[in-house]
Amino acid sequence: MEKQSFAEDCGVLATEIGGGQTRRDLIRSALALGVAPAALALGSGAARAQAGKEVVLVNYGGVAMKAFDEAYVKPFAAQGGKLVLDGSGPLNGKILTMVQSRHVTWDICDAGITTLAELGPHNALEKIDYSIVDKTKLTPEFAYEEGVVNYMFSSVLAWDKSKISGEPTLADFFDTKKYPGRRMMRKDSQAMLELALIADGVPRDKLYPLDVKRAFAKIATIKKDLLFWSSGSESQSLMRDGECVMGLLWHTRANVLADETQGRVTYTFKDGLLQPGLWVVPKGNPAGKEAMRAIASMQQPEGQIKLLAAMGNGPSNPAADALVPPELKQKNPSDPANAAVQAKIDAAWYKANHSKTFQNFLDLISS
Amino acid sequence: MTAPADPARSRAGRSLLASPAARYWLLIAPALLLMGVFYFYPIGRVLWMSVTVPAAGFDNYALLASSASIQRMLWTTARISVLTTVLTLLLAYIVAYALVHSSAKAQRWMFLGVLVPLWISVLVRAFAWFVLLRREGLINAALMATGVTDSPLNLIWNETGVMIGMVHYMLPLGILPIFSNMRDIDQRCIAAARGLGASRFEAFRRVFLPLSLPGVVGAGILVFIFSLGFFVTPALLGGGKTLMIAEYIKVQILEVVRWGVASMLAAVLLIVIGVLLAMLSRLVNLRKLFGAG
Repeated sequence: MEKQSFAEDCGVLATEIGGGQTRRDLIRSALALGVAPAALALGSGAARAQAGKEVVLVNYGGVAMKAFDEAYVKPFAAQGGKLVLDGSGPLNGKILTMVQSRHVTWDICDAGITTLAELGPHNALEKIDYSIVDKTKLTPEFAYEEGVVNYMFSSVLAWDKSKISGEPTLADFFDTKKYPGRRMMRKDSQAMLELALIADGVPRDKLYPLDVKRAFAKIATIKKDLLFWSSGSESQSLMRDGECVMGLLWHTRANVLADETQGRVTYTFKDGLLQPGLWVVPKGNPAGKEAMRAIASMQQPEGQIKLLAAMGNGPSNPAADALVPPELKQKNPSDPANAAVQAKIDAAWYKANHSKTFQNFLDLISS
Repeated sequence: MTAPADPARSRAGRSLLASPAARYWLLIAPALLLMGVFYFYPIGRVLWMSVTVPAAGFDNYALLASSASIQRMLWTTARISVLTTVLTLLLAYIVAYALVHSSAKAQRWMFLGVLVPLWISVLVRAFAWFVLLRREGLINAALMATGVTDSPLNLIWNETGVMIGMVHYMLPLGILPIFSNMRDIDQRCIAAARGLGASRFEAFRRVFLPLSLPGVVGAGILVFIFSLGFFVTPALLGGGKTLMIAEYIKVQILEVVRWGVASMLAAVLLIVIGVLLAMLSRLVNLRKLFGAG
């Protein structure tokens, strides 16, 4: 199945929030799946990118287009820039195809840590110019050579209160004797290994380098009670429909679940994993340095708070924390109170290990 | 031919029409060109990539022998495809048999029942199965209400679910070739067997069944080839645990960008299907099977 990235899920999720919650999530995730292979063909946008210094920003479409427009495009226009949105989905394979065929039409892509890990070695990404992008407007550990944080999200533990009494911990997630029933986690080694290790007693600040063997062994203990979700909407429907009693999923989906089930499904940021969404710039992008100026413009706290309100993505600029309205604070993964109880992902480990670990993870769950 | 009035025109005409083969090639040239540019060239590129990325040589193909992960995935693909094919053929044979022996009016309705699912998107069907098979779904609810089971059966998120979804998808593809073969069986053969003293079962086993086998073999290879490349149903109904070759290739291309491995697996799939089709063409008339004859 099309394994959906967090960035990809943002667009879908926003569509669902905007359009009122329906029970057609599985169809949606399925549609994404059917469309994805066709999308391997290069997206459009070539013509637009050629004109002047327009900056083409690629995300995964949906109502994320509208949220990005409010949060990023309009403020950049007010500064005299021009940002064009393209919702065709910047998957790793597509970026690499563009770069290798020397026909790059994208300037900025909504990506993640694994994009750095997979595309970095292929020399397919531009270095972020930190003389333009302001390092004081972000958490320094999420400023990488070939990518820079755009928003924050978390992988968290959610549970069904009608089937689980009390507040379970990650250790309980792996304890099917204490809490019988089916569980779910993401069909990706990213974040799932960290959470398995925390459950096994590794302190949050001593996760890296990940003990992959230990994490795999932990996951293997409950394998027969585990389902693996691929898209955010799938994770949401599995919890909502009572197919699983506990799950590890993205906080954005957990927020929506808590709302739509009137609190029957709830979650905690405690022992979650805080992860950055990243902007990356494909090598040889058409707008050149103008892309860096667009990224710098998107560091403004105001736009980031708009994105938090619309889609639940946490601001990456620490200055935004104080400006977040009180009712949104508890849903914000990067809120200082929430960030304090979470582990933080280490991109360096992923660059060296992701590809192989992910393969082995798929191997583990399918054997 | 009588002497022509205009010798020049006749010469030109004659050279153009001289060889029937030349005319033949001229007529199919546009189609060939199209196939060459949009089909054979890209496939050639994929095959080429499988022996050149990341380095020249057969390293990618060596993985077939050395990678336990690829072997397991191929084994899963083969196992699910074979099981799907066997179950589909069994059910399809029964349906086709009933179809052939029904009145024309009943046949029309039965055909509607066979074809309508064929026209419904595979995604919608997977979703429908999800509604029916999940823990609190229709089937489990009915089973528990009638006291057949105490706890919900695991009908989905495992290979059972994948199999149900895939067999359902493949049934029309199994029924149609078997039906078209059965329709051509001369019913008088069975009547003759009966007249010579064979029981109903004996007449079926020794006359009808052997005569219908080409259709079964054709349907079997067709269903098996479709199953090999199946992507949506295993992904949706398998709970993320059923990894088949199509999904594996997709991960290699779009996520971990190991294009050499992906193109190698695609080439393997292509070769296996090519060999199967070659075998099929010796057993049955392919043109007829695919509706050209």
